[in-house]
Amino acid sequence: MTTALFCVAGAVAVVASVIVVTSRRIVHAALWLVVALGAVAGCFGALHAEFVALVQILVYVGAIVVLVLFALMLTKAPTNPLPTLTSGRSPFAAAIAAALALLLGTGVVLAFGNEKVDPVPDGSAEAVGTAVFKTWVLPFEVLSVLLLAALIGAIALSQRKKED
Amino acid sequence: MPLILPLLLAVLLFCIGVYGVLARRNAITLLMSFELMLNAVNLNLVAFDAWRLDGLATGQTLAVFVITLAAAEIGLGLAIVLLLFRGHGHVDADAARDLVEQDATEQRKGAAT
Amino acid sequence: MIATAWRVLGVGFSLLVVLTAGLLAGAEPGRSSFLNSSIDGLTLGFAVRTDDLTVLLLAVVGVVATCVQVYSLGYLHERPASYHALVALFTAAMVTVVVADSLFLLLIGWEVMGACSYLLIGHYWERRDARSGAVKAFLMTRLGDVGFLFGIFVLGVGAGTFRISELDPAELSSGVLTTGTLLLLVGVVGKSAQVPLQTWLPDAMPGPSPVSALIHAATMVAAGVFLIARLYDLFAASATTLTVLAIVASVTMLFAALCAMAAVEVKRVLAWSTVSQLAIMFAGLSLGTSDGRHAALFHLVTHAAFKGLLFLCAGVLLHQIGSAAFVVLRRYTRRGRLRKALPVTFATMTVGLAALAGVPGFAGFFSKDTVVEAAWHHAQDGSGLGWVVLVSVCLTAALTAFYCLRLWLWVFFRTPALAGGIGAFEDDDPMADLDEPDTSKLRDAPWVMLSPLVLLAIASVVLGYADGVHLNWVVGLVTTVLVLLGALPAYSLWSRGADPRPVVLEREFGVDPLYHRLFAVPARWLARLTVAGDRDVIGAYVRATGRTGTLVSQGFRRMQTGNVQTYLTAAVVGVVAIAVLAGVIGS
Repeated sequence: MTTALFCVAGAVAVVASVIVVTSRRIVHAALWLVVALGAVAGCFGALHAEFVALVQILVYVGAIVVLVLFALMLTKAPTNPLPTLTSGRSPFAAAIAAALALLLGTGVVLAFGNEKVDPVPDGSAEAVGTAVFKTWVLPFEVLSVLLLAALIGAIALSQRKKED
Repeated sequence: MPLILPLLLAVLLFCIGVYGVLARRNAITLLMSFELMLNAVNLNLVAFDAWRLDGLATGQTLAVFVITLAAAEIGLGLAIVLLLFRGHGHVDADAARDLVEQDATEQRKGAAT
Repeated sequence: MIATAWRVLGVGFSLLVVLTAGLLAGAEPGRSSFLNSSIDGLTLGFAVRTDDLTVLLLAVVGVVATCVQVYSLGYLHERPASYHALVALFTAAMVTVVVADSLFLLLIGWEVMGACSYLLIGHYWERRDARSGAVKAFLMTRLGDVGFLFGIFVLGVGAGTFRISELDPAELSSGVLTTGTLLLLVGVVGKSAQVPLQTWLPDAMPGPSPVSALIHAATMVAAGVFLIARLYDLFAASATTLTVLAIVASVTMLFAALCAMAAVEVKRVLAWSTVSQLAIMFAGLSLGTSDGRHAALFHLVTHAAFKGLLFLCAGVLLHQIGSAAFVVLRRYTRRGRLRKALPVTFATMTVGLAALAGVPGFAGFFSKDTVVEAAWHHAQDGSGLGWVVLVSVCLTAALTAFYCLRLWLWVFFRTPALAGGIGAFEDDDPMADLDEPDTSKLRDAPWVMLSPLVLLAIASVVLGYADGVHLNWVVGLVTTVLVLLGALPAYSLWSRGADPRPVVLEREFGVDPLYHRLFAVPARWLARLTVAGDRDVIGAYVRATGRTGTLVSQGFRRMQTGNVQTYLTAAVVGVVAIAVLAGVIGS
């Protein structure tokens, strides 16, 4: 059951992300990104990581993609197809990506080809919450400071100077 | 479920992200490709967590952290893209070549002044 | 202020030397050594000694140096006063040589003299000929000094001591003796400008005239004569060395006298005459007898007086007229002005030339006669060497008379020949200025310059009688006849207004071009080869390194596109490549 679910979600994720990197319309690419990220969230669910899946949907789909769409709007991105959106290097880039995929795939297959995952049946949100606030509390706090720094940095970067 | 499935999916997503980063022109699409790569990493983390079951939920916790980082990254990245747009009037990663090696004569001129 | 201090110091120092000589005269010979250190049974150190020879040379050096210093006050008052300091140093170096009882102390003085002569000959450093003359003098004397240094080593190690007074020819093996003295002779030949190292002395003439006087009369060239006199026991014990010395001296005196006959510049004539007169001293020394040594030293003293005088006179000509070339002087002489405008110079120069030529009654006559007499006695003892020396000194006497009279007549007298003999010297120089110069402002030099002339002129006469007159009438008659034989052609040529100068003599037997071809040209070729090797072989590597770096970096510059995606692509390619490599190596 979970394997089938995972396969479907994975196939959707792959197709959607291929469209994300090949589409000639930027806004379409952003929307296909939503599909890809959602499918990855489904994969998380299939792996019984419901908490991560929810965070994925909340943060990525809810916040990041919206942010991206805002940025597209602010940079006056055209909605019509742009033939030059992919540069002339794309065959070369594809070759490199394929080589990398071959390399990584071979490595993964050789290393973990016979391993099985035996997911815990019940939800893991409680375990994650316990871990975050017990074991990982210090990194968590550091991360919150990082977020604050990123917030301030983004404000400082995008602020218009007075004379502009 | 074989462990190899999520791992292969992660590899595919990551390489698609690499392709996007290398081939796309628009800076915002570059950022989208980054997100794809980060997701591949997350998938790895979660898959290994499910396989290891160390009781601390290390992989999932880290995945959550990475998502947080991704949020921070995209915020800063988009701020930079906006700056780029303000300065150049476009967000073309190809055309933003301010780091290019200048001609030797220009350089000497620059040094003289 | 400092200049005055130097001048006072210079004059004072030379007076001090005279005073020392006076105090030491008649005193018991003394020796003293200091700073001795013994190395492996060999004692190295410094030592001084005073004896008759020292006193004699000190007196000569002191008097001539005093004259030169006083004269220079007038002659060089517009030049840097360091000149006076250098002359004082020069004198001090000669004094060191004279009082040294250690071969090393002698070497120090010897080398300092070489350095001083370089600096003083090149005093007019702005003139090209002065610079090249200084370099030439330095190189030539250095060449001789190499032999000198090794001679010191051979003698010192052979005898086990470097004290001159302890060198005993009886204790030395004949091989060491001959080798050592021959090597020393090389240094002497270089210092005293004998054949084959004679060419530097005439080319040292661009130096200031007082310096020429000092070099030619008292220091430098006299040091060679002094050295042989000092080590006379050693030299006399080696027949080979004496033969070489006699041959060198005979060749040199004739060679130099012949060159002097064709020279057309007063100082050059005097320079060649110095070489010739030094050779006469060496000829006396080469006899190997105490008579010969005495004659040589007597000639050294009288020569110091009249040659110093002559150079100072030439200096007056240079100072008052601006040139000592015959062609320039003749322009004044044709008006009959030179003699009348420079009466003191004329008179003293006449005395000097008479002494040089060996006119009876003047100092040169007596000293030369003693050499001839010593050679005559030696020859009568059945020595072939004595005959060689006798004949060559007699011939030289005639030649000397010729060039002295030639110099005197052409410089100071109008020739009775047609048109005043125009063409005798001007032929060489078609651009010569034949216009009459403005002679009204020609004056004799100031008295600060003339008083040394007078003093030395008196000495040039009196010194001949200082040794006690013991004239050998036969020899005196013969040399007088020889002087007349030499003087007559000079007079008749002058009265006819002709001055034939054979090309071979004018070119001074082509020695300079020969040396140039033999040594300078190959050296230059070697230098070119070195330069080429440096530039085209070693430099090629250096340049290639630079160019390779530039080329490589230009390649890297191409990669520096400024496009972030290119960089990223390269990074990813690199990562993939490294991963593949790691896999290949790991498997």
